Amino acid sequence: MKVTFELADGTEIKTDAGAGMTLKDVALAASVPNITGDCGGNLSCATCHVVVPEDWVEKVGGPGEIEDEMLDVTMAPREATSRLSCQIEITEALDGLRVRVPE
Amino acid sequence: MTVWTPADDGHADLSSHDTFTEGPPHNTFARMRREAPLEWTEWSGGKGFWNVTRNEDILKLNRDTGLMSSARGIRMEDQSYEEYLARRTFQETDPPEHMRTRIKVAKAFSAPVVAGFEDQIRKLCDEILDQALDLGSFDATKAIARQLPMRMLGQILGTPDEDLPWLVEKGDALIANTDPDFTDHVLDKMETDEYRLMPFNSPAGAELFDYAKELMAEKNRKGDTEGVLHLILQPDKDGEVMPENEFRNFFCLLVAAGNDTTRYSIAAGIQAMAHQQELLGQMQEGGEVWKTAADEIIRWATPALYFRRTATRDFEMHDQKVKEGDKVLLWWASGNRDETVFDDPFRVNLFRHPNPHVSFGQGGPHVCLGMHLARLEVRVLFQELAKRISKVEPAGPHRFLRSNFVGGIKELPVTMTPA
Repeated sequence: MKVTFELADGTEIKTDAGAGMTLKDVALAASVPNITGDCGGNLSCATCHVVVPEDWVEKVGGPGEIEDEMLDVTMAPREATSRLSCQIEITEALDGLRVRVPE
Repeated sequence: MTVWTPADDGHADLSSHDTFTEGPPHNTFARMRREAPLEWTEWSGGKGFWNVTRNEDILKLNRDTGLMSSARGIRMEDQSYEEYLARRTFQETDPPEHMRTRIKVAKAFSAPVVAGFEDQIRKLCDEILDQALDLGSFDATKAIARQLPMRMLGQILGTPDEDLPWLVEKGDALIANTDPDFTDHVLDKMETDEYRLMPFNSPAGAELFDYAKELMAEKNRKGDTEGVLHLILQPDKDGEVMPENEFRNFFCLLVAAGNDTTRYSIAAGIQAMAHQQELLGQMQEGGEVWKTAADEIIRWATPALYFRRTATRDFEMHDQKVKEGDKVLLWWASGNRDETVFDDPFRVNLFRHPNPHVSFGQGGPHVCLGMHLARLEVRVLFQELAKRISKVEPAGPHRFLRSNFVGGIKELPVTMTPA
């Protein structure tokens, strides 16, 4: 599957993602800036913040309850379609996904 | 190459606090990473334990909270269920319970909130460094490293300045409870168990708790709702308030863990500057170095040497059979010197990037709550220090804490030449 991370300065990082990985794993493997995933995907750190574009929201889905609270403590301010990438599992349906990485 | 590690024969006793009085036994860790990455240590003070020393294994096990529980203790000492209940904080819980408590305090220590402290920290650094540098030669742990986290903690808790030395003394007695310089109740030398239900098995825990109660009562009288303590005492979504013993333990955790870890990171950074003369120039050059310097100093320091987990079921790893209930120590101190992950791990490289150190327990849900604050305090302190001096030199041998849990230079004589 192909996944693209759009950085605040306009750079795009295109990368391959395997099914079963989380989007955070994909970002770490591609050294995407501003995604450090310090807690290993356990919803304890909010250091893997991404913003999902409108046209992908339906397929990606919304945050769970704890994720929703943790999204209040991300470094860049939360946006309407913010997610923690550790909670997004890569599936066939997400092939071609693009997400924005806030500054 | 500079070798600062104490001489050990590769078979140091990791259960003995005395092993660590000259710094972590890095030869032993290196041998274990190479030959015995999951090795058993017998311990005269209780049940023995497994040691995990490779960076990769630490990350793998730290992530696996289903296999590795924190709820039966996080230090090597054995705990009864009664002791566990009396002394636990959210450090000693597993998901999902862990998150319910953590979320209450996560906001207060989150990256955006902490970023707002930068000016406050810089001002404190000004005061601390002006005083210290007037001395010329001094103990940098006492005059600099101890000062900043202590005063910052006071500002976060909203405690009066005059109470701070007392608070920090009690915090030290808790967490450095195996070093006779810091407590009269040395943990592995105590004959009575009268303190076993207190935080960190220490009477200082009870004193701190009384203080916290009084502080909150005073704040309530004044209608002061600022600060972390007020925040964590708010009812959660289900209307539940943190029980008193949990609040007591959390307060102790803040005072203890929020203090000495950053202190020992700063101390280790100053010690590194005294031995690697190029570091000061790199700091003075400024710019890019500040994106990476704090993490490298914190890797170098590794103030929390290990955290313990307990196996929830039998498993095999590296041809060893770990049994359900066995204690497993994840040695951050070893993971941070793993030569398969770090180039030249025994040198400080302020530009190191990426820097997959595990000083904060990265990779698991218990990752340090205060990591953003720690990084900021370390960065700002060294930015301000580098502006003011032209040289740092050792002015005598430095001394480490007597503890296999907290790694820290408790005495660091240096001479600093003003710029």
